[in-house]
Amino acid sequence: MSTTTQAAPATRSASLASWVAFRNFAIVFAIATPIIYVICEMRNWPLFTYHPGTNRVDLGWAAAVRDQGPAMYWYGWTASTLLVAGLLGLAAVKLPESIVKKIPLSLVWIVPLAAIPILVYALRFFWRW
Amino acid sequence: MGIIPEVLLDYITVNTYWSILFTIHALLAVALLGALSHQALSVAMPVRAGAGPAGFVTRFRAVHGASYAAAVCVLWIVTFFFGAWIYTKYRMYVRIPIEQEGFWKTQGFFEMKEHLASIGLGLLPIYWLFWKNARDPQYDSARKWLTVTLAGFCWFIFLTGHIVNNVRGFGS
Repeated sequence: MSTTTQAAPATRSASLASWVAFRNFAIVFAIATPIIYVICEMRNWPLFTYHPGTNRVDLGWAAAVRDQGPAMYWYGWTASTLLVAGLLGLAAVKLPESIVKKIPLSLVWIVPLAAIPILVYALRFFWRW
Repeated sequence: MGIIPEVLLDYITVNTYWSILFTIHALLAVALLGALSHQALSVAMPVRAGAGPAGFVTRFRAVHGASYAAAVCVLWIVTFFFGAWIYTKYRMYVRIPIEQEGFWKTQGFFEMKEHLASIGLGLLPIYWLFWKNARDPQYDSARKWLTVTLAGFCWFIFLTGHIVNNVRGFGS
């Protein structure tokens, strides 16, 4: 009987700790993703390059090969972003709660919206008549 | 070109294969758009008690938003997966003719669509957490605006995909 009553608060406490850890991860992951994606796109830093004409994958950035079709970087930008944002999110799990609590929650939707005009600018090559 | 399981080509043509994938992608996108639109409207314009007779718009927004969250996350990821899969075909057989015809803005919008789809992926964990704590008032404002943001992204992505398909989709 006493084992049950002691185990319940312990389980709740462990569950709460993992819940707080996930919340810290998710907040930092959401804020970091648009920032890192914009950097990867503008600096052209894909984790890998895919060549759909030959199904070849190169690590990092690689130019299109003559007569073998285009090179695709979007998969690599997305992979770079998720990897780095994921690492930052994991780092946030280790941060003291007092620091993470200071991050305004509104940033999780303001930062993605702020990324839009920058991405529109990055695509200026296409806005022509 | 692209990833095609060879065994399937004994039964269907290459065009049928890509058409099936595209149709699945489009149907998943419709489901995602519907779920996010219901949820965004329910949180942006919640139905008040005793608001009078329920019309179409009132019924549209009178959903239990939290019950959509897991479905939205799964649909976003699966739709993204199918979109990423058919993107190889698009890059070789759609984008090149679009560029040759000089439809630069169409291609620019498509690039924006893929950017927003990737950024949306990164928002899903916190979106899910906010809705998992739908009764926690500290998340109310962020939950509302994040959901509206994701719905806006989804509408842009959907409409752009539809327009690009009109430019060079089935039968072209």
